[in-house]
Amino acid sequence: MAKLEINQEKITDLSELIKICPFGAMEEKDGKLEINSACKMCRLCVKKGPEGAVTYVEDQKAEEIDKSLWNGIVVYVDHVDGKIHPVTYELIGKAKELAKKISHPVYALFIGSDIKEKSRELLHYGVDQVFLYDDPELSRFKIEPYTAVFEDFIQKQHPSAILVGATTVGRQLAPRVAARMKTGLTADCTILEMNENTDLSQIRPAFGGNIMAHITTPNHRPQMATVRYKVMNAPERMEEEQGEIVECSIEKDKLKTNVEVLDIVLKEKEKFIESADVLVVAGRGVKKEEDLLMLEELADLLGGQLACTRPVAENGWLDAKRQVGLSGRTVRPKLIITCGVSGAIQFVAGMDHSDQIIAINKDEKASIFKVAHYGLVGDLYEVIPQFIEKIKESQGA
Amino acid sequence: MEILVCIKQVPDDSVEVHLTEEGKPDLANITPVVNAFDTYALEMAARLKEAGEGEITALCIGGEEARNSLKNCLAVGADHAYLVQEDRFDGSDSRGISHILMCAAKKIEEDTGKKFDLIFCGKEATDAALGQVGAELSEMLGTGVITNVIEVEFAEGQVCAKQETEEGYRLIETASPCVLTVTKPDYDPRYPTIKNKMAARKKPIGTIKAQDLSVLEPEKTGEGGAFVKTLKLYEPPKKEAGIKIQEETAQDSALKAVAMMADAKVF
Repeated sequence: MAKLEINQEKITDLSELIKICPFGAMEEKDGKLEINSACKMCRLCVKKGPEGAVTYVEDQKAEEIDKSLWNGIVVYVDHVDGKIHPVTYELIGKAKELAKKISHPVYALFIGSDIKEKSRELLHYGVDQVFLYDDPELSRFKIEPYTAVFEDFIQKQHPSAILVGATTVGRQLAPRVAARMKTGLTADCTILEMNENTDLSQIRPAFGGNIMAHITTPNHRPQMATVRYKVMNAPERMEEEQGEIVECSIEKDKLKTNVEVLDIVLKEKEKFIESADVLVVAGRGVKKEEDLLMLEELADLLGGQLACTRPVAENGWLDAKRQVGLSGRTVRPKLIITCGVSGAIQFVAGMDHSDQIIAINKDEKASIFKVAHYGLVGDLYEVIPQFIEKIKESQGA
Repeated sequence: MEILVCIKQVPDDSVEVHLTEEGKPDLANITPVVNAFDTYALEMAARLKEAGEGEITALCIGGEEARNSLKNCLAVGADHAYLVQEDRFDGSDSRGISHILMCAAKKIEEDTGKKFDLIFCGKEATDAALGQVGAELSEMLGTGVITNVIEVEFAEGQVCAKQETEEGYRLIETASPCVLTVTKPDYDPRYPTIKNKMAARKKPIGTIKAQDLSVLEPEKTGEGGAFVKTLKLYEPPKKEAGIKIQEETAQDSALKAVAMMADAKVF
């Protein structure tokens, strides 16, 4: 921040100078002038006071850090009871690409209990080193001990960049770590690129996806980013293992917490739309709740799941967990069929990476047709029964 | 029970935002509203208060126009409201905002002589949607945090909350004080009654300036204090349109579409 510097010798009349300030931000202390926090940086004192008494000092460039001291790109291994979340592999893929550009190693940070065997799986994806903090105290994610471990790791390894999956866990752990380490964090990045000076270009949507922001953390390390599941591509699993596992430990007293995870409840039977290969999406064009049965039949025929847009979730017709879009879930199925969906940008931002997009809408001007690979102008009530019939035919054949 | 609810005023998220010629978001004609997740947080806090006892303080960082948002909060459950109004804070990143909120919370505690048991935030704002402030604030306050809360209970200094996750939910217990970030619960926020609206109009909204914040570190705030720098904003490129199918009848269209998709091995 810019600041004002006082040159006490050049002050001729102290009380006159104090009077200049309209905010009462100047005061006398032991015969000397002081500027308090009421200062608004209006700089009237600079202009109207005796020359040189108060001078305005431009934004001082923060002391530049030595970026060469920070080496390596880390992926936080997201998991529940050792079961690794697939976003982890996607981030390893991205980390390898970023690291190659600046010849840095790729690390994985795996925090949990009884995870040594499970950590070997990471070696099939091209990580140079897996840092393993395996301790019974770390069995379930708890923010304080996990932050303490992260801090320990960063202090010892000095990584240049950290990628964290934007899961429920990642989205609370990353900001807590960033605040602890006094560094910058950018959530939900959709594009990551490495610059030669090791600054990470982080691009993310804002304002419901209407605007993209290009962000960097120019003078702090490690630079941290979270990325949602299914935004990056996972690398192919290699047959043989590569890289090494580094076992780490941390003092027990750092793992204290008063948080207790009483229970982890999994929703029964329900499949998650994020993991479905095929999605049929109900939009505002669906008139009645019963009509969802027709869409569900189509989804079942294709071995897929029923999903919806925000208005349908807000009606209470489907659970909010089935909502696609920026305020819902990001999906990347092999096939997505949108039925009566207009294609608001906040919806499209949650599905436009799908392999095949088929849109059914009465309105030929609907913006969903701009993203659809196949756009079908027609009434979903006429089209979908035809779809169902034809697919049944082809499956019966 | 003392509850703090941090709210943010955001542009109405049902309106598409575009960039001005200068490359800034054009918000001039968009109605400012209280961030939806913050309204859920306030509703959850109000229900908690009604089930027990205590008071709710709403806190916002913003310009003069944010007073209206705070008035609305006073009409739907908040007992007190404070606005941190300081131009110098414009352009703060989420760390800066968290720092200012922490300082303001401490100042309110100093003034009232009461400590907050629970600090509520929305899980994220609908404009930037970073979802960082809750967790960063908890680190600065040195408290626990439970994110994505859909249900909460509070008794004898213990908080028990249901946290929504991708797979279902977690039941988490911790000691107060604690930060809670709220996602959409099963219920909707209440509407203000005329009576409450009238009463809210008479309630004062405290103004907090930088000089009131005894633990403020100004170098952490404003654009200059931000660790992350936004180099550029741009509108995403429009995608090229795919194949459009529009035959005489919907039936023909459907048949053609199915045939084309079969050829492309979509099914």
